[in-house]
Amino acid sequence: MRLNRLDLTRYGRFKDAQITLPIPRADASDVTVIYGPNEAGKSTAFTAYLELLFGMKARDHPYDFQFKRSDLLVGAELTIPNRGTMTLQRNSKRNQSLLDQQGRPIEETVLSAALHGLSRDDYIERFSLNDVGLREGGVRIANAQGDLGQLLHAGVSGLTTIATTLEQMTAHADRFHKKGGRGTELKVAKDRLAKINQELRASRLTPERERTLAAAKDDTEKEFEIADKSLEGARLRQNALAAAQTWHDQTDTIGQVDSKLAEFPDGPELPKGAEAAVASLVITISDKSLRASDAKDALEALRKIISDNPEDPLATALRHELRQLDQLTFDNAPLLARATTAASDLDRRIADREALGAKINEAVVALDMAEVPVETLVLTSDEIDDLAKAAQSVVNLERDVIAAAAAATRARDQLDEAPPEPQDLSQLQTAWDKWSAVADITLAKNAVATETAQLATAVAGLPASWADLVAVGLPARETLLDLAGALATASADLGSSEAELETQEIAYELAQANRQTYEATPATIDAIAIAETRRKRDAIWVEHRSTLSAESAIEFEGAMHVDDDAQASFAAGQDARGQLITARREEAAARVLRDKAQERLNRATEKFGELKRQAAASASALGHAPETNPAAFTDRRTTLLQAAAIEAKIKNAQADLDIQSARRSAALQEMKKAANAVGIDCADNDLPSGVQAALTLQNSVRQAWNRWKEAKEVSADLEQEATDATTDKAAAQKTLQSLINTLPLAGRTAGEIIAALPNLRRLSQLHAEQAKLILRIETLENAIAQLDATALRIMAVTDAVNDPKVTSLEVIEQARMRVTAEERATEKRTAAQAEKAKEETARKQAVTAIADARMELAEWFTDQGAEDLEPTQRVAVLSERDSLRDTRKAQDELRTSARVGVNEDLFVEELAKLPDASRAAAVEQLLKDAQQDRDQAFAAHREAVRLYKVAFDADNQSNLTTEQATILEEIRRGVRKTAVARLGVLAAKGALRRLATERRATMLGDVEQAFVAITAPDWSRVDVWSQSEGEKLIGVKPDGSSVSVEDMSTGTMGQLYFALRVAGYRSFARDLGPLPMILDDIMETFDDDRAKAALQLCCDIGRSGQAIIFTHHAHLVDLARDAIPDVNVVDMPG
Amino acid sequence: MRFIVSADTHLGSPIRSVALRNPELGERLKQASFDTFRRIVDMAILEAADALVLAGDIFDSDFPDLKSRAFLITQLTRAGTAGIPTILIRGNHDALLDHTAHGSLGPDIHLLHKGNPTVEIGNVMFHGLSFDKSHLAKSLLPDYPEPVIGRTNVGLMHTSLGGSPGHDPYAPCSEQDLLAYGYDLWCLGHIHMPFERRSGSTLAVMPGIPQPRHYGERSGGSVAAVTVGDGIPQLERRDVGHLRFMEAKLDLTELGDQSEVLCKIDAALKAAQDPLRITAVRLQVTTARHTDDDLQALATELLESIDDVFLDKVKVLPPKNLTDDKVNDLARLMRAEVQEDGFRQACAEMLDDMRNALPPNIRDALPEDEITELLEEAIDEVSLSLHGVDTQ
Repeated sequence: MRLNRLDLTRYGRFKDAQITLPIPRADASDVTVIYGPNEAGKSTAFTAYLELLFGMKARDHPYDFQFKRSDLLVGAELTIPNRGTMTLQRNSKRNQSLLDQQGRPIEETVLSAALHGLSRDDYIERFSLNDVGLREGGVRIANAQGDLGQLLHAGVSGLTTIATTLEQMTAHADRFHKKGGRGTELKVAKDRLAKINQELRASRLTPERERTLAAAKDDTEKEFEIADKSLEGARLRQNALAAAQTWHDQTDTIGQVDSKLAEFPDGPELPKGAEAAVASLVITISDKSLRASDAKDALEALRKIISDNPEDPLATALRHELRQLDQLTFDNAPLLARATTAASDLDRRIADREALGAKINEAVVALDMAEVPVETLVLTSDEIDDLAKAAQSVVNLERDVIAAAAAATRARDQLDEAPPEPQDLSQLQTAWDKWSAVADITLAKNAVATETAQLATAVAGLPASWADLVAVGLPARETLLDLAGALATASADLGSSEAELETQEIAYELAQANRQTYEATPATIDAIAIAETRRKRDAIWVEHRSTLSAESAIEFEGAMHVDDDAQASFAAGQDARGQLITARREEAAARVLRDKAQERLNRATEKFGELKRQAAASASALGHAPETNPAAFTDRRTTLLQAAAIEAKIKNAQADLDIQSARRSAALQEMKKAANAVGIDCADNDLPSGVQAALTLQNSVRQAWNRWKEAKEVSADLEQEATDATTDKAAAQKTLQSLINTLPLAGRTAGEIIAALPNLRRLSQLHAEQAKLILRIETLENAIAQLDATALRIMAVTDAVNDPKVTSLEVIEQARMRVTAEERATEKRTAAQAEKAKEETARKQAVTAIADARMELAEWFTDQGAEDLEPTQRVAVLSERDSLRDTRKAQDELRTSARVGVNEDLFVEELAKLPDASRAAAVEQLLKDAQQDRDQAFAAHREAVRLYKVAFDADNQSNLTTEQATILEEIRRGVRKTAVARLGVLAAKGALRRLATERRATMLGDVEQAFVAITAPDWSRVDVWSQSEGEKLIGVKPDGSSVSVEDMSTGTMGQLYFALRVAGYRSFARDLGPLPMILDDIMETFDDDRAKAALQLCCDIGRSGQAIIFTHHAHLVDLARDAIPDVNVVDMPG
Repeated sequence: MRFIVSADTHLGSPIRSVALRNPELGERLKQASFDTFRRIVDMAILEAADALVLAGDIFDSDFPDLKSRAFLITQLTRAGTAGIPTILIRGNHDALLDHTAHGSLGPDIHLLHKGNPTVEIGNVMFHGLSFDKSHLAKSLLPDYPEPVIGRTNVGLMHTSLGGSPGHDPYAPCSEQDLLAYGYDLWCLGHIHMPFERRSGSTLAVMPGIPQPRHYGERSGGSVAAVTVGDGIPQLERRDVGHLRFMEAKLDLTELGDQSEVLCKIDAALKAAQDPLRITAVRLQVTTARHTDDDLQALATELLESIDDVFLDKVKVLPPKNLTDDKVNDLARLMRAEVQEDGFRQACAEMLDDMRNALPPNIRDALPEDEITELLEEAIDEVSLSLHGVDTQ
């Protein structure tokens, strides 16, 4: 097959474009170089060629940006074996897309036969080659390790990965299973399965396991029942032994009780409570007898008390006087209480008064003022304090004046000569500070440089006018996204609309044909038509009746037949008419649907066109070619915005740098002006260092000047303090003088006054104490007088004679004692009289109670013996007798009750063995043994029951079962895949050996020729070595040395691969006929010599078939013209 | 009266799919057979059915565990408490139902067997015979009781009916004989695929396996609700399975890039979603460019965002080959190679080795009589692998 012309009718950016590949002369190589710069559409043309051969892509077509997918159309003129030259076209329809020159569908087999059934991928693999494929293919065939079969396969098929593929399949299979492999997936899975099986066996409650567990349960239950019975027997024996022992012991005891009872008196048993009642009665008689005796003694004593405490007739008058005396007070206390000490106190106070007078005189003498009246020297404490304060102030200020004068003198003496006064450099300092703040502009410069570099990166790939695009304004992102989405939707809608219209058109045509078919059927005649035939027949009949001619008869006969046929058709045509109606209805419906589909298509077309226009406009706005896919718009917009943002940053950074530079310059000028003003004159470059040195020197001068100024100010302050102290001293002296002018202290100095102050304070204190004491003495004397008057009145009451030896206090005390004695006698007498009445009553009651108790006692002992005993002894004996009787009865009941519920045989058996001291221990041991056996049996049974229950309650391990099933499924899948892989590798290796055998004769020469041609003079030939693993291709150098393929350089392997492909092409062309070989800039990286050699290989391809070389390198075109005689060079259409 | 009819529950038998390697799915479905049976009892109670009919293979002889029997008794007792009796027979997997070995199942649970072939509930006579051993080669039909005139007669039978090639017959019985026996309704078990047959007023229903365990049982997943009374028995099918298996066929040969492939697989997987059940999908893909591992990786990634759909398996089919044998040298020569006796012998030995390395119970994964199919797959696999990774 040969491609003579490629028609890009509506495809990508092409419209009605053609690429003509001239047919070479008969003896010339068929090579066409198609030249076009980048973006000229070479890839588009190649894709168009492939789509012509194999059909268009169904959805999301990459070249439907100018023409909608449904409008895409490519064509070609092809020379096809056995068919000649044909012009074919291909549209984008799903079916019948291959058309002839007139646009009529033709069978795909026209092309598929010419292509030998190759798929699109097969064609690309075998009949196209680009620079990348060449290089990568070269690298990949190294994996073949020179295997001839694999290399020839690569040359024939274009597939270079068979070695890798077979290795991967083998590795995949080995991973799953390899003999002796320890970590294979199968081994791991089997190990896991074994573990799962083990766990499942352990957990599964199979019937056998259940039977085992149930048997264990039953066995242990029986053993437990036996042990339980043994224990019960042991318990019965122990009970029998206990009962026998009780019987035995109690029988002995009862015999002893009977012996004792024989010694006690007869008589009925005492009533209940007799003992307590008798004891109570005996106590009552005793208590009451004692009470009667006590009452008699008490009455005697009370009578004596009454007679010993008679009444006093003067007591009332004395009590009156004493009460009046007690109401008198002295010093807030009863007079009498203080009067006892008043006499002695009065003497002491008088002595104190005299002593104070002496001390006052001593103080006056100490003040050296004996002739001055004491009262004039007595001052209040405030007056003394003021005086002390004023005198002390004068003394302090005199001391301050002296100290201040000395300090001022010292400061004056220490003050040095004044140092030189510093210059005013404040303006220069300010200027320096401003300069320092703006001097460094490095950061701003760096920012400009950084942003500039980023901009260069960002605008790479953008058109030069990108800034203008941004300035004009970019479409909104949402608009672009909406547009892209809308365009995709519209494209899809358009496609579906076209398909729908196509469908509806066909449906409409079918409906039309259907309707026409029914209409052509006589049976579909309708009622109007038969009415018309009937009307015609009747009219002709009327006419025939009127004429009755042969002609009219014939005419009537004809009309009658027509009518009969119509009637018959109508009668038989009910279904047909219904079908016709349906067909018409369906046709109308189909027409409506067709029209709607057409409208939808129109709308979709219009919308798609509008969106494409919008897309083109947006593309222009973004600096894209108009046909650019909108999917790229948002990225371009983002890039543009990023570039614009960076440019804006550069502008800002530059403006910032300019501002900082201007500020720096202004600050320098200002600093220069300030420096000149203080006599500094430097060049601009030296100015900052000069100013900095001047400012540093001026600092030390200023510090010395400030220190001298501070010392001078201190000296002046001290002078002022001395003057102020003198003034204050004078004021204090004046104050002191005003205080002593009215006192007999005038003329004394401040120090003398301070010395007199203690005596003045003492004098004032003593004078106050003396005044208090005089007042006290007068009060005491008044109290003693009142006491004496009272004593005289008491003596008058008692007719006592006044005795000077007896003091008033003694008289009063005697009277108070007499009154007190009289009151105590009255109290005793009254109490004794009351007690006497009570005792008389108690004595009468005791006598009565004794008589009653004796009668009751006699009743308790009715019919009882032992009358000779005291009641308490008698009742004790009788009670002991009754107690023995009760004991005997209880023991009898005890031995009888001990036998209740006891096995009689065992009882008799055990009783017969008594007395036996070891019998109880022996029986106890029997019981313990039985208990232990029973406990063990119980535990065993409980464990068996538990195990049985646990087996039912255990988890059913469904997770393990599931995992087991999953692993088995994985193994199933894995083993099949592994088997397939191993069989595939085995079959492929065999096939490759066959390929080597089959093709070596025909291809090897071609390979060698092509390899030597492209590598000359480095390589002279190729050779094949037979090895155990198969035949191996090697390269031979001119010096005869051989090199394995895997040891060749990358470049050489690429060239070998090209040679293999050339040989493969020739082989295919020889066997099946040529197909066009597309070579896309494969010499891009070759130097001119290699490129020329490669072009010569293309020339060889052209001699076997057709070589089509796409390139965008003009020099390759020239090389091709040199290397390939009569080469065709065509330009890509504009 | 209305019955819920089920069979072949195979309690304890796990789901067999690599999809359960997914831990979440494995956890959800590890008790699938029990959960489904619980759902059947729930359905009977909820719908106030008059009886629950189980036509054998309640258990699975590969998973003999009396805990499953305890589970069964618990569930059927629950139904009995709700007033729903159960009538059941033993199938070839039901050794755990042996009443002589394990005793009665309890009140309201009627196990029909040779010694007790009939029970009357309401106005319906239930007749059934149980398997006494794991395999019965002769028909049980002649031993079934005669229909009782004037009553509705319902038969329970576990049978392979006419059988299928390559499978042993189990209590074989022809459909015609069954339908002509005089019963009104036959409730059948053993064949896991649901079907129904009618003849006159007689209905024979095979409810199918209620919870399919693997892809081969994908037609199951339901029970039958049958109403009997005057006239022909009425049948409804109710889905009860927690998991269903389904096949999705895809043709990727016309698709261009990876995104289109993804879209197509995604659409197929989403179409498999069922709001009521988990779905395990087997993708059968026609492609010349993708291996099953590639497609499995793509599908697994897509399923991350599709709820309740899991991948059972990917099976790749090569597209119909239009290429001349003369053109495709490798395929042609591989086919020639695999015809060689020596080659086949070597393959058979290799497969034997692999088979012997497998656990005994799955050695059928590499059937001896499938060597031709395996070799065809192998040739396709080489071609797919080669094209899948090498395109310019």
